[in-house]
Amino acid sequence: MLRHLFKLIWNKKKAHSLLMVEIWASFMVLFGVLSLIVYNVRNYVEPIGFDYEDRWILNLSNNQDTLAVGDKVASIYQRLNQYAEVEEVTRTGSNTPFSMNTMNNSVSYKDAKVLTNFYPVDENYAQTMNLPVTAGRWFNKADAVSKHEAIVINDAAREKLFGAENPIGKLVKRDDKLYWRVVGIVDNFKAKGEFMSDEPGLFTFIKDKNAWEKEFILKVKPGTDANFEAKLVKDIAGMVKDWNVEVTYMTDSRKNQHSLTLVPVVIFLVICSFLLVNVALGLFGILNLNIAKRRDEIGLRRAMGATEKAVTRQFLGEIWVLATISMLLGLLFAVQFPLLNVFDIEGGIYLVAMALAMGVVYLIVTLCAWYPSQQASRIHPAVALHEE
Amino acid sequence: MIKLQNIEKVYRTSSIETLALNNVNIHIRKGEFVSIMGPSGCGKSTLLNIMGLLDEPSKGTVEIGGKTVDQYHDKALARLRNEKLGFIFQSFHLINDLSVLDNVEIPLLYRSTSARERRELAQQALEKVGLSNRMKHFPKELSGGQKQRVAIARAIVGKPEIILADEPTGNLDSAMGNEILSILQNLNKEGATIVMVTHDESMAKRTHRLIRLFDGTQVTDSILSTNLATGV
Amino acid sequence: MILNYIKIAWKVLLRHPFYTFITLFGISLTLTVLMVLTSFLDHLFGTHYPEGKRDRSLYITRMMQMDTTQNGRNMGPVSFNFLRDYAKTLKTPERVGISTMMGFANTYINGKRIKLNTKYTDADFWYVTDFQFLEGKPYNEQNIANGENVVVITDDLRKQYFEDSDGSVVGKYIDIENIKYRVIGVTKGSPATRPYTYSDVYFPYTAPKSNYQSEGLRGMYVGIVLAKDKADIPAIQEEFNSAVSRISLPRTENGFKFHTIKVGANTYLDDFLGNFLQGEETRRTIFFSIIGFIMLMIMGLPAINLVNVNVSRILERASEIGVRKSFGAPSRALLWQFIIENIFITFIGGLVALLLSFLIILLINTSGWIAYADLTINFNVFAVSMGVCLVFGLLSGVLPAMRMSKMKIVDALKA
Repeated sequence: MLRHLFKLIWNKKKAHSLLMVEIWASFMVLFGVLSLIVYNVRNYVEPIGFDYEDRWILNLSNNQDTLAVGDKVASIYQRLNQYAEVEEVTRTGSNTPFSMNTMNNSVSYKDAKVLTNFYPVDENYAQTMNLPVTAGRWFNKADAVSKHEAIVINDAAREKLFGAENPIGKLVKRDDKLYWRVVGIVDNFKAKGEFMSDEPGLFTFIKDKNAWEKEFILKVKPGTDANFEAKLVKDIAGMVKDWNVEVTYMTDSRKNQHSLTLVPVVIFLVICSFLLVNVALGLFGILNLNIAKRRDEIGLRRAMGATEKAVTRQFLGEIWVLATISMLLGLLFAVQFPLLNVFDIEGGIYLVAMALAMGVVYLIVTLCAWYPSQQASRIHPAVALHEE
Repeated sequence: MIKLQNIEKVYRTSSIETLALNNVNIHIRKGEFVSIMGPSGCGKSTLLNIMGLLDEPSKGTVEIGGKTVDQYHDKALARLRNEKLGFIFQSFHLINDLSVLDNVEIPLLYRSTSARERRELAQQALEKVGLSNRMKHFPKELSGGQKQRVAIARAIVGKPEIILADEPTGNLDSAMGNEILSILQNLNKEGATIVMVTHDESMAKRTHRLIRLFDGTQVTDSILSTNLATGV
Repeated sequence: MILNYIKIAWKVLLRHPFYTFITLFGISLTLTVLMVLTSFLDHLFGTHYPEGKRDRSLYITRMMQMDTTQNGRNMGPVSFNFLRDYAKTLKTPERVGISTMMGFANTYINGKRIKLNTKYTDADFWYVTDFQFLEGKPYNEQNIANGENVVVITDDLRKQYFEDSDGSVVGKYIDIENIKYRVIGVTKGSPATRPYTYSDVYFPYTAPKSNYQSEGLRGMYVGIVLAKDKADIPAIQEEFNSAVSRISLPRTENGFKFHTIKVGANTYLDDFLGNFLQGEETRRTIFFSIIGFIMLMIMGLPAINLVNVNVSRILERASEIGVRKSFGAPSRALLWQFIIENIFITFIGGLVALLLSFLIILLINTSGWIAYADLTINFNVFAVSMGVCLVFGLLSGVLPAMRMSKMKIVDALKA
């Protein structure tokens, strides 16, 4: 029977070519949108790795003031620790969680060279962000004077750099002159939010008198409001005249990051759904017309002993074969994405997207062919064969 | 072989009721070659459709091969059509998108026959109608007579006991018509029961038995020849 | 004759409401997407408030410094000094305005935090832009020279900060990061999608924390060069390039030694594209071909669908064609009938799309998704849409019509 269907479709390939192009195009559009969705969903289900509620970011910039910046930052740090509303304080680089800033560079261990995010932090970071250390230890004050600077890496970096090896105590190469010693490992750290993939990352240690890193993350008591914020900004601004002092809530930045991801996804999804509804309606219409055109054939098949079910099955089978051929064509295009690695996305995501897209296309063609096929099977053979 | 008792067929539309057949009783025996004649609209085709289980009578019983088919549902009817009956139509009803061979194979698709067996049986059937050299052609490339021969091959490929032909020569010139009739006669000699609707007196004369219909009523039933291939 | 065709077309549409619906749905959908898209692109790149002179403006927004020995590069906005020395001195332009890229600050009032976007500008900034002042006026050279702490705020900030004041807020003070600034003017805000003019507060560049004193070429500033006439643009670019080429290299800035610099005065669109096209050539091509491919799919799919439905439907109406032909209608007349029918339905679809786009654009403008969004269906967008409309009509009309007119009368009658 399958061969029979193939023959039917092959012999009508010219008439079917437009239909095939349409199914092919729908498949490609679906594949694109589903890749995007699968990619983001897969990232989303991975835990983010840290807490962001009630975390404030205090951002300082010294503008034209270049006098003893390191000391001033240190005294601000001390002052921040004195507030009753502030439970924990940590000093970090400008690429705080959910910020738009990125710092990355490649590091290597033996033959493995990995592009890694760098997060300058201090000894209080793990505590403030509730970032659990899974092996080794977090930084302590003594790390400031060690021969090789200490770093903590996340699990993604561990896997890519060290594989099965135990990284604790090993030296990671930054460049010919600079080696870092791994002292600890944390699990996930998705600094750009839930929709970020868990990229390799490492934490470097900020030394006390450093004038560069001027961001602080404050863990405030739940319910702390803008009144305290105003007071805080006023106090700090009073300490460093001509500096910019800015407070942002991590929850706000998180929302921004999320919209950056979600807005395009939603736009694509809406457009894609409309396209598919459009295609489905068209397909339904075309199949309906086809069946009207093939009343003769249906009558004949019924006279030759085809049951109602056999007729339904034939019409569904035809559209499935057609969809399969079109999608095999589509797959030829789709596999280029993982093969050429166009968007630096894991190949598995494309495979899942392909499978899903195929599923959706089969579902759509089945839904569209169901009613016309039922109609076809109900055609009375005597009526269908009726001579003029 | 075919027994129609008190057959009545009424076509209903929203406003009109048409009586197509009125109390028709026909018994066709195994091996007979029966022709049905009558003016257009007399119910010939309806009668044939009822015999072929393509249509249900409004009243009366139909018996095929000794079995009453009143209670049969779609699946059983389809099976009966497939195994016991073969159809030939005036306008051939070949599927244009399939080759001759594929067209002939169609009845075998609806029973469990292997692809190889299908092919062999279809080739045999085509040989019988003298078209084994046209197997890969498409219906569009054939003449009317050739098309009808393909249709005959398709009707006999499943080795049915009964062949129902609805004006098989109606669209053909007389030479081709004669050729088709000879094929049917040969099939009859080999044992097939044939019922043929025709409006051509000369064709009808070459069969065993002639049934005339007028306005849905059976008017005559005359035996033309008793020379049956196998008697009952 | 045409009227007669349209009458027939109308009847055909009504006879098959389902297929008419499919066709209209496809056309309206495609055109709506297209119109909203062009409208959005026009919003991004067209000439609109407050950059009403964008069509004759050039933007100097970033400089790339390259260390050719180690392949290091450093990129970002330029310094105030650079713009003063190399842009303000240009002879051809009418005027050059200077402002910072976006900055941020918070202000607090009644236990509420207001997040502010800030900009430091010179007086010419107000000349090269078209800000509409609701109260007061912009600061001038005099205010700047005196180092006055004055600001221009937007109507939006006025509402948030001076909630209940009915009268003019000019002369009142706003406290931003512990410094009191006198409000000198209130202007209608700019959409956030225009980063070189968008802000909540505008400070004179001599106000505290503006960093205009920075030495070196890179900094926080961008320049808007206003040409007297659009035709002057190439001349200005040339003059600017030759001015830049006189900068002595190599130099060292913030510990980074560089041998070449790349900085240009670009039209807004070029400037915008420059944000994305820093990567290598191949990656850029792949990226753009994929974007193009996606767009083609999104636009092409409804078109294929439409053609498909039309092709199927023409066969459905084959017997009608047969009758017409057998009564002597020439193939060409039938062809025209189908083309006009398709154009007719496409125009109806275009009308529906216009309505839908209008609603969507209204929604975008009022939803606050983009503050001060001013998307419009303007003449350009409408002309583009109608052009596309026609192409669609012909594409889905000619192909099936050609097939149809080839059909033999006998086949047509039989079908």
